[in-house]
Amino acid sequence: MSRTATPVPESVWRNLALTPSLAVFMLLSLLPVANLVAMSMHEIRWEDGRSTWEFIGAAHYARLGGDTLFHKGAYNTLVFSVVGVSLQVFIGFMLAWAVSRIARGRVVYRTIFILPILVPGILIGAIWKLMLNYDFGLANGLIGVFGFLPVDWLGTASLALPSVIMVDIWHWTPFCFLLLLAGFESLPQELHEAALVDGANAWAELRYVYLPIMMPVIAVTFLFRFMTSLKVFDEIYLLTGGGPGSSTEVISYTIYRTFFTQDQMGYGSAMSVAVLFVIAILLVLGFGLSRFRRGAA
Amino acid sequence: MNHGITRRNLSLGTVAAGALGSLAWAPSAWAQTAKQTPFTIVINSSPWFDGFRKVVEAYEAESGNKVNLDVNPFGGSLEKQRASVRTKDGLFDLLIMNGLYYQEFYHGGFLTPLNDIDPAFKLDPQMIRYDNTVYWNEATKTHDPAGKLMSVPVNGNIPLLMYRADLYEEFKLKVPETWDELLANAKKLHNPPKIYGIVQRGARGAPNDVSYDWWPYLYSFNGSLFRDEAKGDFTISINSPEGKAALDFYIRMAKEAGHPQTGGLAQAQIIQNLATGKAAHAMLVIAAWSQMDDPNKSAVVGKLNATRAPRSANGKSAPVLGHWLGGIPKNVPKARQTAALTFLNWFQTRGAQVKYLQSGAPPVRQDVLADPSFASDPKYRWMKAMADSSAVTRQMWTVPEGSQIGDVLELRLNQAVIGELTTARALNMIADEAHAIMVRGGYKTGKITPLA
Amino acid sequence: MKLRLAERLRFEHILLVLVACFVLVPFIWIIAAGFKTQISLLQGEIFFTPNLASYREVLFSKTTEFFSNAFNSLVIATASTLAIVFAATLGGYAMERMQTPRWMVHTLLGWSVVFHMVPPITLVAAWFPLYRQFHLDNTYTGMVFAHTALHLPMALWLMSSFIREVPIELEEAARIDGCSTPYLLWKIIVPLIAPGLAATAILMFIFSWNEFAVALNMTAKQTATVPVAIAKFAQSYEIKYGEMAATAALALIPALLFLLMGQRYIVKGLTTGAIK
Repeated sequence: MSRTATPVPESVWRNLALTPSLAVFMLLSLLPVANLVAMSMHEIRWEDGRSTWEFIGAAHYARLGGDTLFHKGAYNTLVFSVVGVSLQVFIGFMLAWAVSRIARGRVVYRTIFILPILVPGILIGAIWKLMLNYDFGLANGLIGVFGFLPVDWLGTASLALPSVIMVDIWHWTPFCFLLLLAGFESLPQELHEAALVDGANAWAELRYVYLPIMMPVIAVTFLFRFMTSLKVFDEIYLLTGGGPGSSTEVISYTIYRTFFTQDQMGYGSAMSVAVLFVIAILLVLGFGLSRFRRGAA
Repeated sequence: MNHGITRRNLSLGTVAAGALGSLAWAPSAWAQTAKQTPFTIVINSSPWFDGFRKVVEAYEAESGNKVNLDVNPFGGSLEKQRASVRTKDGLFDLLIMNGLYYQEFYHGGFLTPLNDIDPAFKLDPQMIRYDNTVYWNEATKTHDPAGKLMSVPVNGNIPLLMYRADLYEEFKLKVPETWDELLANAKKLHNPPKIYGIVQRGARGAPNDVSYDWWPYLYSFNGSLFRDEAKGDFTISINSPEGKAALDFYIRMAKEAGHPQTGGLAQAQIIQNLATGKAAHAMLVIAAWSQMDDPNKSAVVGKLNATRAPRSANGKSAPVLGHWLGGIPKNVPKARQTAALTFLNWFQTRGAQVKYLQSGAPPVRQDVLADPSFASDPKYRWMKAMADSSAVTRQMWTVPEGSQIGDVLELRLNQAVIGELTTARALNMIADEAHAIMVRGGYKTGKITPLA
Repeated sequence: MKLRLAERLRFEHILLVLVACFVLVPFIWIIAAGFKTQISLLQGEIFFTPNLASYREVLFSKTTEFFSNAFNSLVIATASTLAIVFAATLGGYAMERMQTPRWMVHTLLGWSVVFHMVPPITLVAAWFPLYRQFHLDNTYTGMVFAHTALHLPMALWLMSSFIREVPIELEEAARIDGCSTPYLLWKIIVPLIAPGLAATAILMFIFSWNEFAVALNMTAKQTATVPVAIAKFAQSYEIKYGEMAATAALALIPALLFLLMGQRYIVKGLTTGAIK
């Protein structure tokens, strides 16, 4: 290597590169989570303008064990996320694939498919609620044209969660589409050309060429969309309020009500920490599993 | 400070002169008071906010003092106010608190008793006390009129029974006094899918729908959540035969004259149904009235009228409070506290309240509400109902644990409405869960014999 | 073979058109809401006479703060996007290609995911006293910090994965040529990950633009953002759909512009990459 000047050691660059991220993490992200863990082991009361923290160990966590509403919420959230995100990634993938292959109209389609994500969640909730309204909604208007009776999409226990999932798909598929499209467009040109020359059947090409190559991007997209989906709040808050009954109760909404509306900071923190803990365990398992499989291969 | 007496003399004179609601108070008195430091009011955006804002502007013009308005969406107001009172120096000097969450501010000791700021301050006798929620006895933790004055009412949001006066005329119906009369009228007008006899808020709400809608039924059937809250007896009594009668009737109303999907209706849908002309009756808070007479927002302009919430045959009418109180926190400088109190003192005058009314908000003074010169104006035809209701309105609860209990109520009542639970089972579950909450809170509580 | 080519294209177009309809109908409904009267919205009218009252209310009314809100949103979103992309690209490269110890990488990335799970509103509870103490509440700096903290984790993950895709041989070739690390990063890596970088930047901008929970609690009139303004129309006793839709439609314009600009950059990046 030519030595024109004293080379800066690699480690210095590395530390410099990591500093911004670490700084943000240390200052603003470690502190709140530590705070949450601390609160989860106390009963916090406010009297005379001041707070008293009473240490109660794992009592909040024990209470979680018997909280059937929390369990229902966890179950609903999982169903919501697994079904919703799988569909979003699938649709996003097909759309990204289709858009990356057509010659004309790319910009138009790209812009159209990204539109839902530009609308603030609160407006999406408000307008979809109008559209799914029993008496006046567009949805019932449309099915009425085909002779069907009006359906209470959000007020029928069996339909509420699927309806919310549908709104979520409308809202978030753009996210998956955007990332997967970036993935498709990062692929080397030769791949596209080779596939075309080969005259391979489109499906085979999709399955054996694109899918394996895109796997890393698909995985990251799924992972992050899944993580965000587990936090779903806006849609539930605006569309159903967790009802009818508890059919659309989700963890974020339970935590929000417990922590804020009911001012149970200790118990609400325990809920948050419990959820974080489960995610962390799943992550460790997931990493371990992929390492194991890679090791075996 | 003799402002209260000066005002009342002047206002009597005004009424005697038969003036058509035009105000006539002496601004000079206000120009004479000491200049106050600017202070901040935290309030949420709402249909009556516009009226409040105009009144604030009038105060600024009158007194030369500056007022800052921090306006927030309703969802998030509580968090913002709570965050402010819990820090060392608060952001807001006058908190406009909702009747369903002010309890935590009273219990937590975050507010200054108003007389600690100014021992001479008196709540004008004409200001409605709203079930004594403005008073607080720290020792007994009750709304004791002999206790300290903690807040001034800023908005008296009470549900009224709104009905289609045009249909009443057409079908020659009498304004109902009891629930049975209401049911009979609703059945006569019930003609789905064109129009529903009545629409009720049966949804599981955020923070509340079904419990707020049903509570007047509960009270008027002589049921209650706690056996004797005013005396500190928090034994859960909601699953009594009276409670069951109230819930059974509510569901019967929905089945015989109501919306087929009552379990999915929140306040927004009630307003929607009423404004589009698809409902003949609805229990709705007065704050929503302004939309009904606005041609851009309603298809039934001029067709609605309002009356007090009905009662059971042997009970009393009991519309439930959803009002707004103005309190002053401890963690702000004395100068700003004084400024806030000076504003409240001006706000409670008759002149200010008339201006409030004319700016589009319901006043909180009984003499303005009951003033016949206003009530005769068709624009204010809801006032008589409000005046009648203010006298009997009742609070849902006085404890901060109320929000937890409210959560339970919303879930179980909604399940009863959609048929997932029988009314007896739903009420028993509410009683069990509410009891657990009160035990955790350290209250003197117990349970009654569960329903069969 | 020519037939199969035509077939393939037909399927792609059918799929795209179908999905485009499903996307556009609700979207147009949302935009149309800004031109309807409230009663028309409540009645679900499909054919209506357009009415500019909502727009007038949002843009010209006495109490409107739309322009101030839009400006605030723009400043905060742009600044936080730049900060995030900067930190995430550097951090991602450091973790993937600069021999950061694996335990550190796993911890950072794992923490990113876990932190991402915390509902933003609970973070506010912890941040607010801190911000009050340092007078950061109701400031641009404070909001940019907050949004950076909120969205950096995801950006780190995304940039790491895009950087991982760059063939390592290219880097080795460049190093042999005597490239210093910053030069390598700027001239070689960044153009190669341009599509991913653009996608990340677009997402970060959109997230910041639409972020509500933190903005509500950490801003007051001076720094309030567009989502807070929209939420104010969703009042407890009246949902002003028209004004909400009008505000959102107006706020869409800068976001769309940013998007279109970002798209051109993706194309540019692609061409540059192909030249290599």
